[in-house]
Amino acid sequence: MGKVLNLAPVSRIEGHAKIAIHLDDTGNVEDAFMHIQSLRGFEKFIEGRPAEEVPRIVNRICGICPWMHHTASNKAVDGAFGVTPTATGHKLRELLQVMAHINDKILHFFFLAAPDFVLGPDADYSVRNVIGVVKAAPELATKVVQMRQLGQMMIERFAGKAIHPIAAVVGGFSKPLLESERQAMIKDTQTLLDFAEYTLDFAKNNVFNKYLEVIKQLGVIKTGFLGTIDKNDKSFRIFDGDLRLMKADGTFTDFKTEDYLDYLGEHTEPWCFGKMPYAKSWGEGFDMNLDAPKGIYRSNTLARINVCDHISTPKANAALEEFRSVFGRPAQQTLLYHYARLIELIYACERTLELLNWDGITDTNVRAEVTPGAGRGVGVVEAPRGTLIHDYTTDENGCITKANLIVGTTHNIAPMNMSVKQSAIALIKDGKYDQGILNQVEMAVRAYDP
Amino acid sequence: MSGEKVLLNTEWLCDCGGCHIALVDLHEKILNVLESVEIQKCPVLTDIKEYPEAEIGILTGSIRTEHDRHAALEMRKKCKTIIAFGTCAVYGGLHGAGLAHSREELVDCVYKNSKTTKTDFVPSERIDALSHEVTPIDEVIDVDLYLPGCPPHAHFIFESLTTLIEKKKPETNQETVCGRCRRVMKKTDVTEIKDPLEGVPDEHTCFLSQGYICLGSATLDRCLAPCPNHGVACSGCAGPSMQILTEPTRDIRTEVADRMSRLTNIPAEKVKQRIESSAKTHYAYAMATKMVGNKPTFLIQKWIADVEAQ
Ligand code: SF4
Ligand code: SF4
Ligand code: SF4
Repeated sequence: MGKVLNLAPVSRIEGHAKIAIHLDDTGNVEDAFMHIQSLRGFEKFIEGRPAEEVPRIVNRICGICPWMHHTASNKAVDGAFGVTPTATGHKLRELLQVMAHINDKILHFFFLAAPDFVLGPDADYSVRNVIGVVKAAPELATKVVQMRQLGQMMIERFAGKAIHPIAAVVGGFSKPLLESERQAMIKDTQTLLDFAEYTLDFAKNNVFNKYLEVIKQLGVIKTGFLGTIDKNDKSFRIFDGDLRLMKADGTFTDFKTEDYLDYLGEHTEPWCFGKMPYAKSWGEGFDMNLDAPKGIYRSNTLARINVCDHISTPKANAALEEFRSVFGRPAQQTLLYHYARLIELIYACERTLELLNWDGITDTNVRAEVTPGAGRGVGVVEAPRGTLIHDYTTDENGCITKANLIVGTTHNIAPMNMSVKQSAIALIKDGKYDQGILNQVEMAVRAYDP
Repeated sequence: MSGEKVLLNTEWLCDCGGCHIALVDLHEKILNVLESVEIQKCPVLTDIKEYPEAEIGILTGSIRTEHDRHAALEMRKKCKTIIAFGTCAVYGGLHGAGLAHSREELVDCVYKNSKTTKTDFVPSERIDALSHEVTPIDEVIDVDLYLPGCPPHAHFIFESLTTLIEKKKPETNQETVCGRCRRVMKKTDVTEIKDPLEGVPDEHTCFLSQGYICLGSATLDRCLAPCPNHGVACSGCAGPSMQILTEPTRDIRTEVADRMSRLTNIPAEKVKQRIESSAKTHYAYAMATKMVGNKPTFLIQKWIADVEAQ
């Protein structure tokens, strides 16, 4: 009789999941699964609510990227009510969302992922965590904590709440940015940009070069990619633009966000509450076979870095060019999600500065007039963990009658399952495994930042 | 060294993860906390998968599956003091709105009637099924301390942790959100309730005085009133005030209606009706708890049915 190795819960990730590795009689991997255990049903309980209330409710889908739900939802309601936000309102939303990306990347890289690299994947599990990092590298840890604080406080001071925001409203933003606030933010963002550059250097030297062999192997699968690009110059975007669906061979199709139903479908497996999006438009169905996957694409950092033609900000673009010269396009190695995440960190800092330096950002015309009514709106943004889609239909009173949500992480559920299986097969042989090996299987998941 | 430290476990049940992030976001203060606390199990930060013995146990989220129930029971067994941390843990939270829908309605909407999914089954193999409703944790285990808030503000988190670490008696500030709100309540002759999207509210005057519904006066302050101080009315995410919890005949709508009718020329009855007609929104965070759900004044399922029948 074979046996099942349960890794429950998968730790140092931001969601609720467990891994089950099924071994055969000889102790080799028969199959492996990542089960998503939680289901709350937001699509149902926003039905009937006044749509303008929804952008502060759907935040609670995820306490790690609430800003992205907040902005995507506001955009969807704008669409349903037929409102165009004022130029300043639109840019303030982008500003806050991009700032939230900065903080999220610092959190993920240092608090969740770094222990595997700073202390080593085989370090004892009781110290392999951010507290261990605090002990091993106290100066770095203090700096990281200060930077996360700086970023979160920038948001809290201006927008009230960093977790579960309220400040973006249908038609734009709830309050204007004062000149004094803008000046303070420019100064703080400059500090964050310096830190971002330091982080990428640190990671190149201490992580990516050191673990090159692991990167080449751990969790590697071959898939397509989905991400957002600028409507005009096809550069990297996280707030708005068109969607680009790329195949594993690098060919791609671009489409308008509101047409997502023609391109994406969701598959359900009986062992997972999380639904698995796939590329319906490829017409090949859905299959997680490691050698011949069908319909499988990935989203999140590596995907965005792969699909864009270039990045519009100089420092991030230089980092992208260096990345592509080493790993090619599209890069498939799963651990490169971490590298891509740090390129995005630099972009997010540079973009924040661009937005703060835009003349109109302190304009007081932050909110367009809104009349609730019937319609449909699709709001799409790039959340740290993937493309986020909110699609609402409203009735003549402006209440939600139907909602469809595709949350960032879910695009990667099928790929994560494949990476788990790939790494389990590669690492567990003839019944031999230890906690270091099992942690490496979890590392394959952690890269996706689910 | 570590022998003298206070041992801490945390665990998340059905929730959004935000409360755990709020803990991490004590920022530099987390470094202070770490001087006297040893964090053991903490799913977002450490790889400890079992439940070690601990002095303090922080539970976030509410109970939706067998897995959640088991985790809550284990935490109770191993931790001397259990804190129900965040609105989900204390009152069931936003997904307590599940109360307004059956489990079947929820899963049908997600798996069977979705625009992108065409499935004729609901996942159930090797994962724990959803329970019939969302349960706040104190209906399953004894809770020693409650810290609502969605998430609670760092100020209150730090205050409660230091009190516990220093073994002092916890402070229980019972003020409502109005206490920290910078807006001024004044009598006006407003006669109509305004929709949140109507006009642009004055930034110095209480929302109620201007005819906008704000739940600040019915909500316990565990957030420092960020919403009304940044242009948006309070939606009650920290859950009801002590007065509402302890007096059987008071509830969110009667409290807000009384106050609003005194500040404006809008009759209290009209305010009450308005809140009932959008009960799913105004009772969003604390629907699942018996503390609110069993009040004689609270007929949320009826109010929702009335609206849906229209
Ligand atoms: S109380 Fe709010 S922040 Fe905390 S877990 Fe629940 S939804 Fe998330
Ligand atoms: S009711 Fe709302 S706006 Fe008025 S004082 Fe209280 S919190 Fe502030
Ligand atoms: S909605 Fe009310 S209780 Fe919640 S954070 Fe805002 S002011 Fe505080």
